[in-house]
Amino acid sequence: MAEETKFKCLRCMSEFRLPYRHGVTEERTCPNCSSNSVRRVKEDKK
Amino acid sequence: MADVGRHPNIELHAYSEVDAVSGYVGNFNVTVRKKARYVDVKECTACGDCEDVCPITAPDEFEIGLSTRKAIYQPFPQAVPSAYVLNIDECLGNNPIACGKCLEVCDKKCIDYDDKDELIHIEVGTVIVCIGMDVYDPTPLDEFGYTRHENVITSMEFERLINSGGPTQGHLIRLTDREQPKTVAFIQCVGSRDANRGNPYCSNFCCMNTVKDCLLIKDHYPDVDIKVFYMDIRAFGKGFEDLFQRSKDAGTIYIRGIPGEVEEDPETKSLKLYVENTTEGTMECHEADMVVLSIGAIPRKDSSTIQQLLTLQRSQDGFFLEAHPKLKPVDAATQGVFFAGCAESPKDIKDSVTQAGAAAARANRLMMQGKVKVEAITSTIIPDLCTSCGICVKVCPYNAISCDTKAKTPATVVEAACAGCGACSAECPFGAITMKHFTDVQIEAQIDAMLEVDAKDKVLAFACNWCSYSGGDLAGTNRFQYPPNTRLIRTMCSGRVDKRFVLRAFARGAPIVLLSGCHFADCHYINAVHWTQRRVEKLWDELEKKGIRPERLQLEWISAAEGQKFATVMRAVEELRQKVTAEEIEHTKKALAGVLEPRKPRAATKKATEQEAAAQEAA
Ligand code: SF4
Ligand code: SF4
Ligand SMILES: [Zn+2]
Repeated sequence: MAEETKFKCLRCMSEFRLPYRHGVTEERTCPNCSSNSVRRVKEDKK
Repeated sequence: MADVGRHPNIELHAYSEVDAVSGYVGNFNVTVRKKARYVDVKECTACGDCEDVCPITAPDEFEIGLSTRKAIYQPFPQAVPSAYVLNIDECLGNNPIACGKCLEVCDKKCIDYDDKDELIHIEVGTVIVCIGMDVYDPTPLDEFGYTRHENVITSMEFERLINSGGPTQGHLIRLTDREQPKTVAFIQCVGSRDANRGNPYCSNFCCMNTVKDCLLIKDHYPDVDIKVFYMDIRAFGKGFEDLFQRSKDAGTIYIRGIPGEVEEDPETKSLKLYVENTTEGTMECHEADMVVLSIGAIPRKDSSTIQQLLTLQRSQDGFFLEAHPKLKPVDAATQGVFFAGCAESPKDIKDSVTQAGAAAARANRLMMQGKVKVEAITSTIIPDLCTSCGICVKVCPYNAISCDTKAKTPATVVEAACAGCGACSAECPFGAITMKHFTDVQIEAQIDAMLEVDAKDKVLAFACNWCSYSGGDLAGTNRFQYPPNTRLIRTMCSGRVDKRFVLRAFARGAPIVLLSGCHFADCHYINAVHWTQRRVEKLWDELEKKGIRPERLQLEWISAAEGQKFATVMRAVEELRQKVTAEEIEHTKKALAGVLEPRKPRAATKKATEQEAAAQEAA
């Protein structure tokens, strides 16, 4: 199961969580504005 | 099959597997593993004496376990070559307490317990992938009770049951009491058309297979009642609607609704099917002596092996992806490779035969030419600049590049295999790969020219030839309005867009840069678009480190059909441009001034290092 991680849309700047598998390149879409400029936000290690 | 075996121009490698494929169109080298058969094919007359004396019985795979075979057996009656094969894992002859009965009885002395796999190397010009399909295992759909109720069988098992060459010589019987069932129920779409449980796609042939089975039963056993539970019957295709009507006229009852539960009577072993009849809007219970699950098709479990061997693509459903759904439906993206049958998608016999004919014709046409036209836009390695790092080898979706990283010899490109995506050129850290017609110099000149005047008012966009650029064309022809300050640079694939191009655009004062390419599933270069995404992700990090807002680099996947999306994206990007301040642009120009300097000629560095080393040695 792919874990979820935080992403940020570089068009509308909204943040959201999407499935993420390390090393797997996937097409991603912002759920808010449909942009593909979706960047992974590196979360602080807890 | 027999004709294939006899054909003077066909070399048949039965009981064999492909171990490796190298080369390219016109020059494929295939390594075939001819598996040890332990029986001399040339000598064996298929008399069957060995089978009679063999003490081992095992489930017969061809009959899906509905009957047994011996450890030495003929895979199926019409198998080509007509010879026996020994399953060495089941055979006692190899065990310490040797059996050796077959060896004793075989007059021709064909049996050799020490037989070994043999590797054969063949050279071919083209390859047709026709590995077929597997069938869906209905075990997870527990409501049908496939693993709990013996009289619930799959359509594949039913196929063997009513086949005159099958385990019952075609007599329709129930598995529990070997009696002829009075009522048979078929449940359609088992494992098909359900994204959550099973597969989302339609398996294409199951409806007509059931219709055929119903007609067969009615032909031989007119008194048997048949009920078919379905979502909708898909009887498209020549003559199929007529067959469907005939099965109805013969008395088959079609009920719209898929049973939610199948229950077994513990004594009679008959079954009860609970279903919502969606035509009548009623909850119903139907009884049947036997239930046949019309299972769907799935890609062969070993598809990924073939995929890797031939650098093929697969669509989301797992079947092999054709180069173009309409214009090249039997070609793979890899030149010289074609598909036939269910390897490409589930299909019936007629469609498989049609596709096989087309694939053979496509392959033949290519080979008859003697020469293959290669892409004009291919990559070229500049040996002096290449450090033999091997990165490009990993990048190329077509395996067109080879490089001996240990021997440190420069990489080489097989032009016939190169499709011209340019991903290697963009990824080579040393600028050692140039793309014909899309050289660095040409693209950089475009960037410079577009940003020469009023750079701050422009949006510079890179668009791939096949999708985004065509999307832009469509936006134009459909009169979708988008800002006139967009400046487009076309590359064959977004994978060609070197990070240096993006940085150069910023260094020249671009407020916003957009990189656009095909959706992943549409990439015309197998998976070159993945490199685009990875590169942009790295660029976002790099820009941020340099104090440049990463959002000034936008990424979009736009297909050729998405004219509307193209226009929307351009309007959104223009809004972003308006927020970029003059100070920001100036800061960026300073921060990235270095990228405008010509790339350090690696050859000079390399030679200098060598000279230095030589000088040191001399000293
Ligand atoms: S061409 Fe570039 S990427 Fe390929 S091996 Fe040479 S230096 Fe490395
Ligand atoms: S241009 Fe594309 S296809 Fe050609 S060698 Fe480079 S990566 Fe491979
Ligand atoms: Zn967004």
